[in-house]
Amino acid sequence: MKQKALYILLLAALVLSACGNLGGGQPVVVRIGWAGSPDTLNPGSAILSEAYTIFGLVYDSMYKLNLDGTFSLGVAESVEHSADGLVYTYKIREGVKFHDGQPMTAKDIKFSYDLYKAHEDFPYINSYTAYIESTEAPDDNTIVLTLSEAIPNIESQLVFMYVLPEHIWKDHAEGSATVEFENFEMIGTGPFKIIEYKQNEFVHLGANKDHFETPPKVGEVIFQTFESQDVLVQALKSGQVDMITEMPATAVETLKAEANVTVLNGAPFAPGVSDIILNQVTPENCPTADGGLCTGHPALQDRNVRLALAHATNKQKLIDVVLLGYGTPGLTLIPDGLGFWYNDTIKDYEFDVAKANQMLDEAGYADTDGDNVREMPDGSRPLIFRVNWPSDSIDAPRQAELLSEMWAEVGVKTELQATDPDALTAQCCPAFDFDVILWGWGSDPDPSLLLGVQTTGEIPTGYNETGYSNPEFDALYDQQAVELDLETRKGIVWKMQEIAFNDVVYIIPYYEQNIQAYRTDKFTGWLTDFAKIELSDVTSLVLIEPVK
Amino acid sequence: MKRWRYLSGKISWALFTILFVIVLNFFLFRILPGDPARAGVRDPRLTRENIEAIRVRYGLDKPIINCFESLNPVKIGSCVVNPLDTQFFIYIGNLLQGDMMISFHTNRPVTEILSERLWNTVILIGAGQILAIIVGVLFGMFSAWKARTSLDYASLTISLVAWSIPTFWLGVILLFWGSNNGMPIAGMSTPGMSSYPLLTQWGDIARHMFLPTLTYTIVYMGEYMLIMRSSLLDVLSEDYILTAKAKGLSIFQILKDHAIKNAMLPLVTIIAINLGFTVGGVIQIETVFSWPGLGMTTVEALNRRDFPVLQGAFLLIAVAVILSNLLADLAYSYLDPRVKTE
Repeated sequence: MKQKALYILLLAALVLSACGNLGGGQPVVVRIGWAGSPDTLNPGSAILSEAYTIFGLVYDSMYKLNLDGTFSLGVAESVEHSADGLVYTYKIREGVKFHDGQPMTAKDIKFSYDLYKAHEDFPYINSYTAYIESTEAPDDNTIVLTLSEAIPNIESQLVFMYVLPEHIWKDHAEGSATVEFENFEMIGTGPFKIIEYKQNEFVHLGANKDHFETPPKVGEVIFQTFESQDVLVQALKSGQVDMITEMPATAVETLKAEANVTVLNGAPFAPGVSDIILNQVTPENCPTADGGLCTGHPALQDRNVRLALAHATNKQKLIDVVLLGYGTPGLTLIPDGLGFWYNDTIKDYEFDVAKANQMLDEAGYADTDGDNVREMPDGSRPLIFRVNWPSDSIDAPRQAELLSEMWAEVGVKTELQATDPDALTAQCCPAFDFDVILWGWGSDPDPSLLLGVQTTGEIPTGYNETGYSNPEFDALYDQQAVELDLETRKGIVWKMQEIAFNDVVYIIPYYEQNIQAYRTDKFTGWLTDFAKIELSDVTSLVLIEPVK
Repeated sequence: MKRWRYLSGKISWALFTILFVIVLNFFLFRILPGDPARAGVRDPRLTRENIEAIRVRYGLDKPIINCFESLNPVKIGSCVVNPLDTQFFIYIGNLLQGDMMISFHTNRPVTEILSERLWNTVILIGAGQILAIIVGVLFGMFSAWKARTSLDYASLTISLVAWSIPTFWLGVILLFWGSNNGMPIAGMSTPGMSSYPLLTQWGDIARHMFLPTLTYTIVYMGEYMLIMRSSLLDVLSEDYILTAKAKGLSIFQILKDHAIKNAMLPLVTIIAINLGFTVGGVIQIETVFSWPGLGMTTVEALNRRDFPVLQGAFLLIAVAVILSNLLADLAYSYLDPRVKTE
């Protein structure tokens, strides 16, 4: 009797698992696989880039960021600014509607900007309001922004400040209720609207066919979360998803051999940079009041040593081994993905072990005791550097092994150690309790951000992780921050990259590329002929249509 | 009377353990290095004011407990602060009201997150457990019955191999096999299913459950099989079984009426303990199949120093393990009269 019950139970499980093949007569759905998930749908408290991808689809803002790095107007149809660059007047498009049918007016924009400015506990968006003194909406189609300083990059300040509906957010505008607002309804004006969201599972979006500029051609878009990149590749192969936003370089060759799949690589939309951080903080600059310990190896304060290390670093080999070739050699913290701002006239230090050895010899770092490790000129200590990296990094361990071999060729010994990312932050800066760290940055569309982390003012805050301090560089930084003429500003920014490069502030091994892939038998029209690759961006998703 | 003493002793011990876990949970995570206000956000755009505002929002600006400003690095603070104004007692106070506070990472109430995830894990691992128990016990009985024949050795080998396979490896192999055969390989439902009838939705979840459940069953049935087999063999060598045989009972009757009941005792312990861990989820299986359960949530929370979620998840797991142990103890006292008198 009991066994019979078991048998029925098993049978039921089998039947349930076998019934499938759902759908038919449904809207055209694009399925995108990614190895992440938004942390929240609330633009105020979001941190992860996946959240911003969704915001870009569901919301509009004053400007749009194009794939070539330029900006164009979004909800505004025209803009004028005063001669001193302090007052910007935007004419807002008429007839723009939120997904719930309510009209979007300048009042909503003013409300959103005021909300972002009022909440200091918004981790990112609050900082974009730093230069906005006031936002006024004299009528339904005009926004007047008054700035505290004439800044050259208003576009990159406003591009992530999404327009929220006042009629919904006004009930969540005060105190901690704002960051805790889950915003599952996510009413915006963008080309897509939310249908369903399940955290760490999927984001299900539907087309907003009434969008004022770019109504999508497909019916629905689904972002599905996969815990690992290898599974993503498998899901694309088997056709469970139509596009994947990331994949391991090791899978590129096999996936390229697959029929109906195209693999793309290029600079990421939000460019990133891998860096080798050399602790060069001097005792005078040690931020002791902010917890500075400054235990770095003194040799790294000597430009000759840093230069020799740069010459001893075979970047191409790092790219070939660590990234399987999917990267470009790096110069400074400003990645090639920033396009216009990237100084491509700088000539990289050639990989030359003999030259590096000669430099160290001439600077007095001799190996006096014959153990193949050089000592300080005064013989006080050998050139043994601690090399740390965040333990969640996949690339860093391989990178560290290679660097260890390369630097051993010039008599520099390394002690390799993976460290918990949080512990590493505590060790890094402003504590400066390290010699070398392998880490990286994500860049803003504007170069100011990553130039800023090399200024003296950021040493105590911990964002200047090398301890580099150069008054000339600092002065140029302040200059470019208020230079309104684009070409002049570019000149300053290029000059700063040259200075940072000559001083060997960092050794930048590479700029990693984005690798994405899509099925050619499902959708067509993906934007693939730009230097930057980001198929999950709104720019592609409003253009694609089903393969006939 | 004795029974009551035994019972109340067990229950009060369980309560004490839970209390201990509540306290330990709090300090365990605060000994970890790193500032949750900055975890995941290492960005120059984040000004000091922003960080301070975030710390205030999460209550991280308050001292950990009287005399201690922070635990890593250890910073001694004033001892004369109001205890109700320290992180520890705020945590205890909230917990007493059933409030596990707000997740640092998603800004959602922890109770809400955990109740979603708990259910996901329970249905996945629950199904796996039940199948593993059924298959394992049947296999074990079969093996013991056919002891020392080639059939026994074959099923013994299969069980040993299944038990020693690394879970994630088996998961990945099954994942590739399944994806080539049209099985869903990630998540617990097809996005966009919520508009379909309930039965279709359940069918969809069952399809998603197939591969992870299969993985779980294969890995865990070995354990049950081995224990069932050896326990049953022990029983079968007892004198009363010989008596039963002498009475002319069939092997089926002997197993059913005399052997199995006694052989199940050690299995009760294992099942109870494993059921407790069910709540914790099986991190590897959840990760391979992107199953949005408690295990995955715990790993993610750990990476992001999401203390409230970690505290909640650990508490939930601890309570589940303690309760199922208690249950096992109670079941034992009922099943095995010898236990009561000890």
